[in-house]
Order: sequence, then structure tokens, then C-alpha cells
Amino acid sequence: MQWKNVQLIYLREMRDQLRDRRTLCLIAVLPLLLYPLLGMSFFQLSQFLRTTAAEVCVVGAAEIAAEDWLPPLWQGAAFDAALFPRNAPRQASLQVVQVAELAEKSPDTASKTSEPLALAALAAGDVQVVVCFPPGFGSRLRLAREALMERSAAAAPANIPEPQIYFNSTNEKSRLAQLRVERVLQNWRQRVMRTNLQDSQVPLEAARPFGIQPQDVAAAPQRQAAMWSKVLPFFMFIWALTGAFYPAVDLCAGEKERGTLETLLTSPAQRREIVWGKLFTVMTFSMVTAVLNLASLGVTGTFVLAQFQSIESLSAGTGLLALPPASAVVWLLVALLPVAALFGALCLACAAFARSTKEGQYYLMPLLLVILPLMMLPMSPGVEFNLGHCLIPITGLVLLLRAVIEGQYWQALPFVVPVVGVTLGCCLLAIRWAEEQFQRESVLFGESERLDVGRWLVQLVRNRTATPSFAQAIFCVGAILVVQFFVNLALSAGAATRELEASFFTQTVLVSQVLCIALPALVMTWLFTSARKKTLLLDRLPAAGWVLMTALLAMLVRPLGMEFAEIILRIYPASTEITSRIGAFEEALALISNPWLLMLLLAALPAVCEEIAFRGFILSGLRRVGHKWWAIGLSAVAFGVVHPILQQQLAAAAVGLVLGYLAVQTGSLLLCILFHALYNGLGLLMSQQITADRVFQTPWCWILSDGDTSMFQPWVLAVCLIGTVGILGWLRGLPYQHTREEQLQEAREQQFAGA
Amino acid sequence: MIDNPLIETRALTKEYADLRGGPVTALDGLSFTVHAGEVFGLLGPNGAGKTTALRILSTVLQPTAGTARVAGFDCLTQPARVRHQIGFMSANTAVYDRMTAWEMVAYFGRLYGMEEEPLRARMELLFDRLQMQNIRDTLGAKMSTGMKQKVSIARAIVHDPPVLIFDEATSGLDVLVARALLDTVAELRDQGKCVVFSTHIMPEAERLCDRLAIMHEGKILAAGTLDALYQQYGPGNLEDIFFTLIRQGGRAYPRPHLGAASHSEGGTGPRPTPLVASKLESTS
Repeated sequence: MQWKNVQLIYLREMRDQLRDRRTLCLIAVLPLLLYPLLGMSFFQLSQFLRTTAAEVCVVGAAEIAAEDWLPPLWQGAAFDAALFPRNAPRQASLQVVQVAELAEKSPDTASKTSEPLALAALAAGDVQVVVCFPPGFGSRLRLAREALMERSAAAAPANIPEPQIYFNSTNEKSRLAQLRVERVLQNWRQRVMRTNLQDSQVPLEAARPFGIQPQDVAAAPQRQAAMWSKVLPFFMFIWALTGAFYPAVDLCAGEKERGTLETLLTSPAQRREIVWGKLFTVMTFSMVTAVLNLASLGVTGTFVLAQFQSIESLSAGTGLLALPPASAVVWLLVALLPVAALFGALCLACAAFARSTKEGQYYLMPLLLVILPLMMLPMSPGVEFNLGHCLIPITGLVLLLRAVIEGQYWQALPFVVPVVGVTLGCCLLAIRWAEEQFQRESVLFGESERLDVGRWLVQLVRNRTATPSFAQAIFCVGAILVVQFFVNLALSAGAATRELEASFFTQTVLVSQVLCIALPALVMTWLFTSARKKTLLLDRLPAAGWVLMTALLAMLVRPLGMEFAEIILRIYPASTEITSRIGAFEEALALISNPWLLMLLLAALPAVCEEIAFRGFILSGLRRVGHKWWAIGLSAVAFGVVHPILQQQLAAAAVGLVLGYLAVQTGSLLLCILFHALYNGLGLLMSQQITADRVFQTPWCWILSDGDTSMFQPWVLAVCLIGTVGILGWLRGLPYQHTREEQLQEAREQQFAGA
Repeated sequence: MIDNPLIETRALTKEYADLRGGPVTALDGLSFTVHAGEVFGLLGPNGAGKTTALRILSTVLQPTAGTARVAGFDCLTQPARVRHQIGFMSANTAVYDRMTAWEMVAYFGRLYGMEEEPLRARMELLFDRLQMQNIRDTLGAKMSTGMKQKVSIARAIVHDPPVLIFDEATSGLDVLVARALLDTVAELRDQGKCVVFSTHIMPEAERLCDRLAIMHEGKILAAGTLDALYQQYGPGNLEDIFFTLIRQGGRAYPRPHLGAASHSEGGTGPRPTPLVASKLESTS
């Protein structure tokens, strides 16, 4: 790839976009206008908010008026100011209307008694809340007070009728008023109690022996950071996506539509250079959009906040609102680069797939549907910053961003590598996907073909190729995951109803290996490929020397694998749920007394089934992409994903890399099966022998370390590492069989070699 | 001159998947060679496979079987090197709307790896020769078809390539502009360039081409110099020879499922297989 060409294409695309009025409007003018306009309309709305007071109709006012010892509940048309201890402005939001006034307003209803009259007014929306003091309320209160003053429990009335608050929950204003009236009445009740206690010479502490004072230890800046850490990433990511999408559609689908893509394709610029040039353009627009929006929001926010404080009725509760700290902004900008790269590549691939701008626009919605939940997930309360969540693309990045904005650097540190790794991996995958779209003739020149699923399937089977296609390999991974999901559901339902026994365990292992993993791969091999032995790498027998080397490699890699698993567990400890699952599995293992059966079930069977699927069908399909390391990497990830426990997935993916390399370099599935069976078998043997009490009775205990940081002696690990590297080096020297796509790719990469 | 052809195709075959009729063969064992200093004409109806063949030469498409070499480089395995050797122009290679004529030609010159000074000198020469100085700063969107065609020619020859490929380049042009284009092509041939020129317009082919291949349904029915063709198929004009050959080919023209209908024409009759039609035709 020549960076000079990438730069040329980038500069041209940038100039092209900047000359497009619509793009400029969307990217620059819209954010500059949007937030001031939003702020302005907010103030317009807040005017309406302030002018309306809820009307509260009081029925049975005489009950209270008759008792002059009661503290005042209202004065004129307002509740008593003393009942709003911390929020004086609220007093104006409630207006008291006597039921008699209602009767005066509408004389035709005079025949009704006061309560139905008030309720009718509530139903009509004339008043928002009705407060009814029942008959006898005042007199019973007085009796209770007198009983208290005389200290005679017998004289106290058994029950005082409760005042009713009527409201309409479908009316927002009514609901709000009800809450406020309730608070007013509660405060009034407090005052009644206080008056009673004072008058009967009981200290107030009798009713309220102590108070409770919540204390937030988070300093104000921290609280602000916590709030901004939730809002800002979401906000910025949305704008980064929007900013990437429209230029991407214009740069790919638009260029196809205008007929300039073929002009560019016949120039010496290679497809990869074109994709990178366009990607940088899309990224630039994505980042500029996000930054401009943030800045514009910040400026508008400063003004709005200043105004906020000046409006008394709105200022309560806004004490937390302040501009985000500078460190938050810096971290956001740091995260913006990978986010823009990821979104840019995704948008570019989608846009390259589209035949016209119109079709391109349609893809925004599905893209949002995939990305939005990933951005929302960190906001849900149960989502903690742990390894599992870290490995989810975008979610992990949002969580990491949140942690650093909140200043939790140390907690974030162990997760930097997985988050950056996953993000980088996704970026590369998306870019690769975009490149792939630019290579495909049907995408570049194809017009829409009538959709006909039946014919398409028939054609897939009838015109099957020697080895599976890339898409078929990916579909196979999907099929395995789906079958596994449903079988696991069924099995766990079965496990809940019956006792743990050996036969059930055997069935479970058989089903989960044969049905979930081997069967989908075998069926797809039979349906979609013509060279089946070649697809499953069974078309040749390995030499004896290779068999020995493979066996040796398995024995050398095993201790390294165990050590790696230990390290993973140490950095990312297993949750209690996982520990209990492992415990249950070990219990089930103990049920099987025949060691050979155990070896068959846990070493030989998975070796055969998983190798047929992952190094057979799937790897063969993935290799059609034309680059063996992409194929090996993707097959290793797929191999990891089908394992049930997260920590196990990481370890399995690492072994998957070795297995994939072995498969590509030797071209023999038998060797992979041998490696896999030995690897699993050795692991089983070791874990059976290394139990706490038997550990130093085994004949090979001398290779074990007695410290608790490592399982093996350091020299054992060193020997294994050197041996593994040596054998991998030997594998590298083997003349492996290139696929047609790999040959083509290599030839193309070397086309300038002699020049 | 005869010994080293600049373009050489051998048994070039291209198939497309099609859900309805099974795989469609767009090119069926196409073999021809073109040397420096000659104009080779590919003559055929819409859907004969001309555009597919030329797109393979320009490395935009990959052949299903067979080989194509340009200036000694393989189109499949050395596409970037091939593209350095060719100037490609077709009815599908548009100019950028939001770029001026000068910017557009300069952009492609730089992509071809030209240094700034030689590029500038070359562009001044080209803009003079093609009489484009007056549209130097005109945006593509504001150009007439003739102006766009000039820009396309300048873009295709800015790096002075030994091989030039014109695919239905005169389609949609008025007589004046088409005539100017043909003159330019003849001039390029006289400069010693190797030119492939595809068309379905017989008089153009008669006027311009040193050698011709008459294509139909992905195959070459006859090839040779005009004189040789006349000798073989009797005197008259190219059109007569063309119809004779197609009748001998056993099928009526045009072939139903690869008919002339396309997005640019909105033709009637049976709908062409979309994938194939878009690749095969470029004419209106």
C-alpha cells in the first residue's frame, strides 16, 4: 500500500465533501444552530411551566375552621407558607379553592352536595386535586388531643376518619399537584402533632427521638464527573456515528451512482488505498461532527445553566449541573479516534454494499439498531466494569471511558488491554470488510437481482464450489452457536428435574459435541462443497515424523496453556456463579469411574468433533478470504466463543491459534485431532492428579512449583516455551498448500517486487 | 512490431452466477493480440461481451478462466502494474462533479505517480492540444457532455500510457464531438500507441480500425484487417459482413435475455439478467 496514494485520495475526498453544501450544513452549520435553538425553545417552554398553578378544591373546610387550636392550613387562596419549609416557590404553584366558590361559579349545580360537586369539577378538569375532610374529622382530632393532655388512653377515639385526596393519574398536572398537596398535609400533620405535644408538656423528642442525616462522601466535582461520564460518551458516540454515515454513503454509493467509481478503479490506486483514503475522510468528518457538537452544546449549556440559576422555580436540584471537567473532555477526545475508526469502517462497508445513495440511507437504521444497544448497555444499573462486559465491542469502550472520566484509573488498568484489543480487532475487521466490499464485482457493478430464496438455495447446492465460501464458514459458526443455545436450554431444563448421574453427564457431552458442533459442519460440508475430503483436510495422510512433532507440540503447549489459564483467572477472577458451575462439572466428573470413558468423552470426542467443525469446514471457508492469518485468527475467535465460560474462551482462543496454524501448515486434520486429544487428555490427567492432597505423590511432581504464583517450575515453562517456538518455526518452514485466493493475494502483493 | 504484442488475451472466459438460468457465459474463450501503433476494433452488438473484455483488461473485473496480459503484465496477478500502462475511457467512467477540469486531470496524474513539474508541463500541453484551456476552472457538474469527454481523454492519457482502451467512448456524443474524439484516437495511434476501441457503430470502425474483431455472444466470429474481411466475406460494407456472420452464428440479434434493455435505456421486452446486463452493456 502506498501512503502517498492514500493521502491523495483523502485530500480529494475532503475537498469534494467540503464543496458539498449539504454535507457542510449537516456537519458544521447544524450543530452550531441546533443547540442555541434548542436552548431557546427550552426557555420558551419554561415560561409556560411557570405560569400555571394547580387548583386544589377543599371540601369540609368547616371541620378545620371550627377548631381554632389547629395550626393554620391555608390563608385565603394559598396554603400556609410555613408548610413549605424548604421550597417557598412551591407555595405559589398550589391555589386553594373552597367548594363554596365552585358552587357560586356554576349555580346550576347548587343542588348537589359539596363532595360530588368538587369531584365533578375534578373530572371536568376545572380543579386538579380535591381534598376532603370527612365529617367529624375536627371533633375527633380534638378528642384525641384532650385524651393526650389528660394522659388517658381510654378516652382517645379509636379511629380518626382520614382526609381523602382525589386526583386524576392520567393528568400530569393533577398527579404533580397531588404529590405536593400530600407533602403539605404531611407537614401540617407534623405541626398538629407538635402543637399537641407542646400543649400537653411532652418533649418533642418523644415522637422523634433522633434524626437521620445522609452524607454523600463524593465531592462535588466527582459527582459532576459521575453524571457526565454517563451522558457524554453516549452523546459523542451518536454524533460520531451520524457524522460518519452521511459522508460514507456519499463517498461509496454516491460515487457508484455518479459513475466516478469506475474511473477511480481504473487508476493505479489499489482498492486498499481507495478504502483507506475514504476511511480517513469519513473518520475526519465523524470526529469533527462529534467535536463541533460537543463544543456547541458546551457553549449553549453554559448560557442555559446561567439562566437556570436565575429562574428560582427551576434552580432547585440543578446544583449538580455544571460543565464537565477538562479531564473528561480530554478522555473523550482520546476515545474519539478509535470510535471514529470503527464507525467509519462500518459505515463504509455498509455504504459500499449499497448500489445507490437511497439504498445507502436505508442502512442507517439497522446500523443504529446494532450500535445503540451496545451504547445503552453500560447505562443499565446492573452492568459493572468486568471482563465480560469489557469484551463487548463499544460497551467495553464506554465503560472504560466512564471509569477514567470518574478518575478510577487503577480499577480501569487491567481492562485497558482487552478493551483496546477488542476495539482494535473490530476496527480491523470492519476495515477488512469494507475492503472486501470494494473487491467484489457483484457489489461494484451488480444491480439488484430478484429475491428468490428457493432458487438461491438450489443454486448454492447445485453450483457448489470445491471448498466452502467465507460466508458459509461464518454461517456455520452462527449455526453452531444457535444449536448450542437451544440444546443448552433443553439440557439445563433436564438437569433441573433429575439427579446428577453418570449417564446423564455422558449424554450431555455427547449431545453438545456431536449434535451442536460436528453435525452442522458435516451437513454443510455435504451440502455445499464438492471436494469434501479437501474441505475437511482429510485428503492426505501425514508423515510419521509430523505425527511425532505434533504429539511433542501438544505436550509442550499444555503446561503453557495451564499457566495462561491461571494468569487469566488471576487478572480476571471468576464470579461465584462460574465457580459453582466449575464445581458442578467436577462433581459430575467424579461420577465417572472408568478413566478410559472419561478420556473418550473429554479428550477424544471433542478433538474429533471440534476439529471437523473449526479446522475443517470453518477454516477452509475462512481461507477463501485470501490471507491465512485472518483465517486462523477468525477461526480461533470462533473456537473460543463456543466455549461456555468466559475465562475458558480466552484460553481456548489461544489454543485455537496454534491449532489453526497447525492445520494450515500441515494441511492435515488428523494431526489437529491428535494435538487436540493429547492436549485435552493431558489437561484432564493433570487436573485429576493435582488435587490438594495428592499433589506431591505423583511421579512427575518435580515439575510442579511449590509457590502459589505459578503451577510449574519456571524452568519447565521456559523449556516448553522454547520447544513450542522451535516446533512452530519448523511448521513455518513446511511448504503449505495455498488456496487459489491466497496465491492471488501473494502474487498481487509481490507485483512491485521486481520493479 | 509483430513480435511483441502490447495486449494479449488467451481463451479469456467470464461467467456470472444467475439464479434463473444458471451460470451465464459473458466471454467464451476470447483470444486476440494488439500491437503498438495500431487500432484494434471490437465490434459487436450490445451484450456481445465487449465491455466485459475491456473491463478485464483494465483489471476492474477478474476473468473466470484464461489470461490477459498488458505490456507483459498479467491482469489478474499484477493489476496495479497493468493500470500504470493503460489509459481507460468508457461511457461509464464519469468525471467528478465537484472538481474542475484542471484539478481532475492533475489528481489522476498524481495517482499515476507523476512528479509535479513534468505533470504541469504535460497538462499544459494536453489542455492546449485538446482545446480545454477555456474550461480549466469549470466544475464537472457545469460541463457539457463534450467538455466532459475531453476531460476524460485528458485524464486517460495524462501519464502518456503505451496502451489505450476506449470502450464505447463515442456513445451519447453528437457528431462534432464524436468526430473530434475519433481524430484524437487516430492521432494517438500515429504516435505509436496501442489502442483498443470497442463500438457498435460500423462506420466508426471502418474509419478508424486497422484490425477488427466481430464479437457476438462472448465469442469472436471473425477477425482481421478490413481488407482481409472483405476478401473473405465478399465486398460490400462492414454492416453486411456483420449480419452475414451473425446469421451464420445461428441466432437472431439481439439475444433475448441479454437484450438491449438497461438502466440507461429503460428498454422494453424481456428483462435482461440484471447482473450480466450491467456488465455487458454500456451503450445507449
